[in-house]
Amino acid sequence: MSLEVSVKKKFKGFSLEVNFRTNGEYLGILGASGSGKSLTLKCIAGVETPDEGRIVLNNRVLYDSKKNINIIPQNRNIGYMFQNYALFPNMTAEENIGVGLKLPKKEKKIKTNELMKLFRIEDMGYKYPAQLSGGQQQRVALARIIAYEPDVLLLDEPFSALDSRLKSELHTDFLDLLKLYNGEVLIVTHSKDEVYRFSENLALIEKGTITGFGKTKEIFEKPRSLSEAKMIGCKNISQCSIKDNKIYCSDWGIVLEPKDIPENCSYIGIPSNSFEIANEAGINTIECKLINVVEEINEYTIAIENSNGNETKPIYFNINKEVWNNRKNKDKLYIKINDFYMLK
Amino acid sequence: MKRIISIILTICLLMVLAGCSNAETPPVTPEPDEQTEPETPVEPEEPEEEPAEEVTILLAAAASLKNCIDGELIPMFAEKYPNITVDATYDSSGKLQAQIEEGADVDVFISAAMKQMNALDEQGLIKEGTKVELLENKIVLILPKDSQAEIASFEDILKAETIAVGDPESVPAGQYAKESFENLGLWEDVLAKASLGTNVTEVLSWVAAGSADAGVVYATDAASNPDVKVVAEAPEGSVSKVIYPIGIIDATTKLEAAENFAEFLQSAEALSIFEKYGFSAN
Amino acid sequence: MNWSPMVISLKTASVSIIITFFLGIFAAKLVVGMKSDKVRIVIDGVLTLPLVLPPTVLGFFILLILGVKRPLGKFLLEFFSVKIVFSWTATVIAAVVVSFPLMYRSARGAFEQVDKNLIMAGRTLGMSERMIFWRIIMPLALPGIASGGVLAFARGLGEFGATAMVAGNIANKTRTLPLAIYAEVAAGNMEGSYGYVAVVVLISFAVLSLMNYFTMKGSKYINKDELK
Repeated sequence: MSLEVSVKKKFKGFSLEVNFRTNGEYLGILGASGSGKSLTLKCIAGVETPDEGRIVLNNRVLYDSKKNINIIPQNRNIGYMFQNYALFPNMTAEENIGVGLKLPKKEKKIKTNELMKLFRIEDMGYKYPAQLSGGQQQRVALARIIAYEPDVLLLDEPFSALDSRLKSELHTDFLDLLKLYNGEVLIVTHSKDEVYRFSENLALIEKGTITGFGKTKEIFEKPRSLSEAKMIGCKNISQCSIKDNKIYCSDWGIVLEPKDIPENCSYIGIPSNSFEIANEAGINTIECKLINVVEEINEYTIAIENSNGNETKPIYFNINKEVWNNRKNKDKLYIKINDFYMLK
Repeated sequence: MKRIISIILTICLLMVLAGCSNAETPPVTPEPDEQTEPETPVEPEEPEEEPAEEVTILLAAAASLKNCIDGELIPMFAEKYPNITVDATYDSSGKLQAQIEEGADVDVFISAAMKQMNALDEQGLIKEGTKVELLENKIVLILPKDSQAEIASFEDILKAETIAVGDPESVPAGQYAKESFENLGLWEDVLAKASLGTNVTEVLSWVAAGSADAGVVYATDAASNPDVKVVAEAPEGSVSKVIYPIGIIDATTKLEAAENFAEFLQSAEALSIFEKYGFSAN
Repeated sequence: MNWSPMVISLKTASVSIIITFFLGIFAAKLVVGMKSDKVRIVIDGVLTLPLVLPPTVLGFFILLILGVKRPLGKFLLEFFSVKIVFSWTATVIAAVVVSFPLMYRSARGAFEQVDKNLIMAGRTLGMSERMIFWRIIMPLALPGIASGGVLAFARGLGEFGATAMVAGNIANKTRTLPLAIYAEVAAGNMEGSYGYVAVVVLISFAVLSLMNYFTMKGSKYINKDELK
């Protein structure tokens, strides 16, 4: 089971140029709005046509500009879930689910009833989409594309239409339902949490190009490039230069000493949970002055600055409220940096 | 405060609108002539001997006369009598009659029917002896210019599939057409095939376009449109004559000039111009 | 009161709305599906033109094509003994020409407001273009199309200027309601027109109510309260 995508398309203001291949596991495509992620999905589905390239799904060529192959979306056997679900307002939930099924009436009814049971919407089949809640609509939309067992599922920001309050619950729910489908899934989103929960593999997309690709957990734990660090939400990033096996972080005016330094390290990223209050100066410890303390629900977000630097950017970290309030040294602040990313 | 302003503005707007809708052609007011001397005995017809005085007279005439009088007759007259300026106003005969009754400063009047002239005459507003039946406008049958149809007379009218005629209820020419066909015993049949026009121009354009096979209009109307041809006049006696009388208004202060003009209009020269435009000399 | 003008008007309006309805939908479908923006703007302009031109200008153009002096009119007359001008058919043609842009624009607007995602979804689900048109686009566009049809019907019923020019004012043949009313008023016969005017007002009111009904129905699928 695999999907091979290699397409180019000029679009409003930018050029889409993506190349990737899946290996049967779920792939998440993470990017900001307008980065081209939806467009990529649409090209795979066939509702948009690239300028050139090739798309192969399970060894079947869907698109090949050189050979003039461009299979119409109807025949690509893909399942596409739209951001707003695109349920047909003039059809009931049951009718919507059965749309893609090419079965005679009786079989269709059996199959849709089965699906509605599995998706826990069996007593809503007669309702119209306007009468369903957001979560129910989402389930109908998912059932609709799983019904005919396509070769791949393309989910376009499946949670963006829902209240954040419900999202957490719905995530788990959704994942369970997704297991009812036996194929590959591509999920496109701008949410780090979603991509972390849903996909084993991750592609990062920025302004039309893929700037990172790999196993999701690995990228989150150890991003290797500036793009990846930004994408996973690292707040502290600084340019750096290397001298005598030490890293000089110019934006913060601090020096870091790692165990070994990779080849091309131009940036440093520090995750906001890898800080510790220290009692005195030391390796990878900075003397800093406090800029700001913001109270969050469960912790403080502290902004600090290197005391010895001039015109440096602040560093942000999170810390447990109690730990912070109970710190011993209240006049001088020493912060130890435990972990950091060395980025290309 | 805002409300008061908007009320005032609304009232002003209404007044302006009322004023605009009332604006008609202002009633007849001739130019005041500085040199008018009511009884200057002017030597008749010798412009070389004495420089004759400048006189302006006002003609009120039926609308159908506008083209030929303004276009040709007034200029012709001006050549003969350079000292007499003729101002002219054209409108429906009924309206002109009303204006003259109200005392408008008209010197010469030509109406499109005897009715209005007679009405003024009965009120003593026409100078004794100046009423003359000047022109006749015949009722004619027209066909599209290139028509090959064999329709040569009013009696042949039913050979036409569609007949264009003015609505007798509202168009005088239509009324005359009805009268004529009634006297020929053909009106009911004509009506069944007739397309009724709300004005004579409409009737003319229907025939000119070939949409109607035949039509009935005034001779002057037919003469004004090159795409129709006249094939017959209404049979003698089948329709009352359409006479255009001319008369000098009794109250005129420029009698001689008025007489000159009226006389000119009755001259052979003027009549040939009238005939060119479709009128018949009476 | 002579009922003939009403009968003629209703006949004309009924026949012309059927023609206009399908022509308008077909044209709208064509224009909405056009790939080139430039071509679409030009074609749309041409199709909408009768809406802004004075009816007498429209009559002029119809005469230009079908008049007996013109090639087509002459041809029809000589070979088929058919004279379109001054026939009842001409009233239908005039009504179609003036009401077409209303139908076309309504249909086009109705098609365009259908969510594009629905069309894309239909495609990914394997629905043929035909099925997408009949099962998704048409049902959703129907209220807008119906209300456009009603509007076009009313326009065709009230047509006057072009009708007089190409169909004439022949009793029992081409004298439609508007022509009859105008003739009565021109003759100073106000009482004679009361009956006709009453009919026109009644029909117009019925038409407007229908339009409102269709427009309200259109929001049914979107406004969940309506569905209960």
